[in-house]
Order: sequence, then structure tokens, then C-alpha cells
Amino acid sequence: MYIYDKFDHAITQERVNEFSQQVARRLVGELSEEQFRPLRLMNGLYLQLHAYMLRVAIPYGTLSSKQMHKLADIAKKYDRDYGHFTTRQNIQYNWIKLEQVPEILAELASVEMHANQTSGNCIRNVTADQFAGVAGDEVEDPRIISEVIRQWSTFHPEFSFLPRKFKIAVTGAVKDRAAIQYHDIGIQIVKNDAGEIGYAVYVGGGMGRTPVVAPLINPFVRREDLLSYLETCLRVYNLHGRRDNIYKARIKILVRDLGPDEYRRQVDEMWPMTKAAGVDVPAGEVARIEAFFAPPAYEKVSEPVAAYADAKAKNPAFARWIQTNLHPHKVPGYGAVTISLKPIGGIPGDASSAQMHAIADLADKYSLGELRVTHVQNLVLPNVKQADLFAVYQELVKIGFADANIGLASDIIACPGLDYCALANARSIPVAQDLSKRFGSLDRQHEIGPLQIKISGCINACGHHHAGHIGILGVDKAGQELYQITLGGAGDEKASIGQLMGPGFTGEDIGGAVEKVVNTYLGLRQSPTETFIEAYRRVGPAPFKESLYGRR
Amino acid sequence: MAQAKPAKAEIKILTANRLRNGETVYYTAAGEWSPYVTQAKVAATPEEIEALTKIGAAAYAANLVVDVAVIDIVPGGEVKPAHIREIIRATGPTVRSDLNKSVAP
Repeated sequence: MYIYDKFDHAITQERVNEFSQQVARRLVGELSEEQFRPLRLMNGLYLQLHAYMLRVAIPYGTLSSKQMHKLADIAKKYDRDYGHFTTRQNIQYNWIKLEQVPEILAELASVEMHANQTSGNCIRNVTADQFAGVAGDEVEDPRIISEVIRQWSTFHPEFSFLPRKFKIAVTGAVKDRAAIQYHDIGIQIVKNDAGEIGYAVYVGGGMGRTPVVAPLINPFVRREDLLSYLETCLRVYNLHGRRDNIYKARIKILVRDLGPDEYRRQVDEMWPMTKAAGVDVPAGEVARIEAFFAPPAYEKVSEPVAAYADAKAKNPAFARWIQTNLHPHKVPGYGAVTISLKPIGGIPGDASSAQMHAIADLADKYSLGELRVTHVQNLVLPNVKQADLFAVYQELVKIGFADANIGLASDIIACPGLDYCALANARSIPVAQDLSKRFGSLDRQHEIGPLQIKISGCINACGHHHAGHIGILGVDKAGQELYQITLGGAGDEKASIGQLMGPGFTGEDIGGAVEKVVNTYLGLRQSPTETFIEAYRRVGPAPFKESLYGRR
Repeated sequence: MAQAKPAKAEIKILTANRLRNGETVYYTAAGEWSPYVTQAKVAATPEEIEALTKIGAAAYAANLVVDVAVIDIVPGGEVKPAHIREIIRATGPTVRSDLNKSVAP
């Protein structure tokens, strides 16, 4: 993992000091709310329905056990004993007191963490594949350039007051586990015919009111040119992005309105000037950062591991958990375990301080001290020996996080919704809980196969509903919560935007409506191996609309 | 000529979040900010609603509270917000019964 140098420590501490003074000035009235609001947002602090909410950055979803212990301590000491892991690989605390925020930031800084740029019109926390560094299918560990981007974008003076927020995601593999085409900039690490590593850069994707799958703007940016290219992409946006209309201020609108070709032309025209300014990182500095992500000391494991095979044979529940929650590791004898934060009927992404401490202990004991957060609101133990998998499973059973549902119907993304969020129009969590219970039977979930249900409580789409195979959007119609269904969305390398099926359903009826969609799929699929998204792409919306609304 | 519809009866209370800790609070008849919605001072006339609005603006300007709003309540009986959003603000997240807020002391 990356370890802060003296500059990282200094700027993090300076920011703690600066924001502490700003909070103090706000509390005595020297700063008005209008003056303070953009400052608190740049430090991840929102005002929600019940209290302040603090969003803590977990850069590219990588976390040490020590940091997880600290997150748990903060949940216990300053919040109501839990936290919420988000679709941007961050953690949010829901019951924060403004007067305690300086203390919390100081605690975070003590473990090289912060809440910088987790909100506001700046470059947000960079996200990445949760299996970075351990996935066998990656070209290069995406954490290396993610860390380069983190350092470049932190407190970048030119990009601290962008027209709107700006999100960057990186995948090191063809298989996109970071939803890069739904980001303002999505980066895929690629290798050209000459065997050189470079970056395919997608620009202008996003969710929200106007969902857009990002077009490919440059198929191969050379390694040494990445930052000047990114800087130019942002510079064109900063110059021409719409500051006059918040709904048209994201880069996706600029790229759409200019057209990808014209946007690309403008970037290419400006790029030499940016490059000449010396923005790019010297190879030596990249190498310094890369060294932090060198593979840890893996043991040589001779496969097959008899105890592991034996445990699977004797424990069907463990075997099923392995089937869904274990990702292949590039090192023989190891696996990456996804810890489901989606217990049946539970709140997606929530974990208590006790659960966080227990997971941190598991990371120490079984995963070389390392953890990851996924954009699907789960956690990962990236380095577990096969021989330890059964022990890890048993420990997860004890804390209620052993559900074998990764990638299945109950592995649902849900934003906090109207239970917490000041922007929400409808509740998301109760819908997720209802669906989770309806599809709770593992037999049924396996019969259905891979299915991604994603729920947002408003059009801002924090719950990624546009990218859900089944997306659910909560709306407010004359004071009543209604839920619209979209189908056919995907956030992977075959990204697509879900299509709206029709009028919304009440909170009581939405669960039954989703069941109808699923049953329609089961009835029309060509074989059990044809997945929901494959079947939807084959037949289109008509049979699903008919099942929901009858013939019209 | 069609007659103008009679103005809809409006009954409102004043709510905000406390600056220091973000707590959801309601302005009371005693002139204080209470976490209990049933203690909210009810305004039933345009003049009373205007008065509440001014009190909210003054408390905001004095840096006591933020996110100030005059909200609708259900007519009759104990004070109960009309909209689901405000019911949740008053009573807590519907998905965590252990974190429910009391509506009265």
C-alpha cells in the first residue's frame, strides 16, 4: 500500500488545521452558511435530514486493517456505531456533529486518511477495480496511476472550482469492475501491439439526470503523457463547461454538445501546450509510487489444498459461498474474498463498528493486513490463502456477513435515500430490503443467475440505477413515493443505459413488479445459461412491459 | 365566470437543523428550538406563518440554525408533518428502529 511521504503528511495536516479554523469561525458566526458551505463540501461534510454527514475518502478503495480499525473507532466515538460504504468506495457517517469534525479529521490524518474532495466541484476520490494487484486478468495494477492521479488532483488549484464535480475511475483489466464508462473520465490500462503499456481514455460519461456512456476519446495515451492529457481534458472542460446551468454543467453535456470528435480536436490542439508546461510525472516518481504496490510476501502454496477441498465437500453452504464470493487470485493457492455487506433483509453497505473491527482483524490474520471497498458496496479481503478460506468463512458467519450472494439478485446497490439524504425523493433502503427478502432463497437466486439490481432515491443516481440490469428510481409524485423501473442497464465493459418501462409503482407494489420482471425473464430465456442481461438484449423491453402493464 | 377556488387551509410549523450538531429541531411556543416535533408552535394564519418565517430567518442570521423551513403539518390533533420527508426528519430513519427519534419529551 502507498505510505504517505512528508509532503502528504504536511498537506493533510495543514488541511485539518485550516478546516478546524473554518469550523471555529463558522461556529462563532465569522463565516456565514453561504461562505462556509463550499468549504465544508470540499471537506466531505454535508447537512442531511438528521445531522451532518461526513464522507471519508478511501482512495481507489484500498484500506489497511489499521485504517479500518480507525474507521470503526470513529463510528463508535463520533457516530451511532456504524458507517455506510458507498458506490464511490468511500465511507459515510450519518450522525456527525459539526463541532466534532476537526477532531475526526485529526483522527483520520493519524492513519493517513482524510475527507478531502469527497464533495464539491472538484476532482473527487479516484476509484478503481477492487481486485487491483491481485486479479489475474489485469494489464497493470491500476492503483499505481490511481495514486499518481490522487496526488496530482489533490488541491489542484486550477481544478478546485470546476463547473461541477468530476469523477475519475481506473480499470487495469478488460473486464471492467469499476464502471469506468459511467465516469467523467474513465481510464482503461491497455497494452499496444508493441507491448507498451498505455491508457485508453473515455471522457464524458455519467449517471444523474442525463445518463451517458462515455465515448472513447483517445485509445492509447502513452504512459509518460497521462497527466498532461488528463489536465488538458479538464482544462477544455473548465474553459467551456456550462457554469450557467447546474443541470448542464457536467463534462458529459459538453462532450455531447460539442460531439466527441470536436472535443477530441480541442484537447489535441491544447495538449502540446499543457505538455510543454511540464505537468507529466518523471518516470522515477512513478517508479517510487509503483514500489509501494509491489506484491506482498506471498507464500508458495502447493495445490490442491486438501483441507480446503475437504471443507467444501463437507459444508455445502461454504461451497456455495466459494462459488460466488471468491475471485481468482494471480498467485496460485490464494483467492480474493468478497465480503457481502448485503445480508438478507439488511441495509446495503452498512457495517457496525464491531463488524468493522472484526473485518480488520480478519485482514490482519488472513489477508496480509489489506482490505478493499467495492463500488457495489461490499468489502474484499484480497489475499486469502485457500487453506484459510474456511476459517474466514466461519468468522464471517459469526458477524453476519457470510451471505453467498455476490453478483446475485440480493447483492443490491442502494443509496441512503430518503431515510437519510436531503436530496432524496423516496426511500431506497426499504425497497432493497423487500427485494432482498423476496429473492432471499439461494436456490432461487442461483436459478435466476447473475442479476444486478440497483436502486436510487432520486435522479442524482447515487444508487447507479441507470447501470442496473434492473434499475429502480424513486420519485415523489404529489407527496407519494413511487418507483420507476428501468431494464437493460450495465456498468461493465459492455456499458448500457437502462430503459424506462413505464409509470412508477408504489412502495407496496414495487417488489411484486420486480418479481414479474424476473419471472418474465425466467420464462423467456433460451437456456439457464442465458443471463438476464443477455436475454433482455435479445428480446428488448416489450415482453417485460407487457408483464408489468399488460397489453397497451 | 368561474369562481376562484378558496385558498387551501395551511397549517405550518418552523423547522431547521442546529448549526453546532446538525440536530433536527422545531421552533416552540416558548421561543426555543426543540428536538420534539409535537412541541412545535403551530401557525394557522398567513400572519402567523409570516411571523414564523421571520423568526427562522433571524435564527439563521444569528447562526443558531441552518436549513430553515416552514413546513406543512396534518390538520387536527398532535402535530404531525404532512410530507414523508418531514415525518422521517421528525421520527428518524424508517429502517433503523433502534435510532427512532421521540416526537415528545
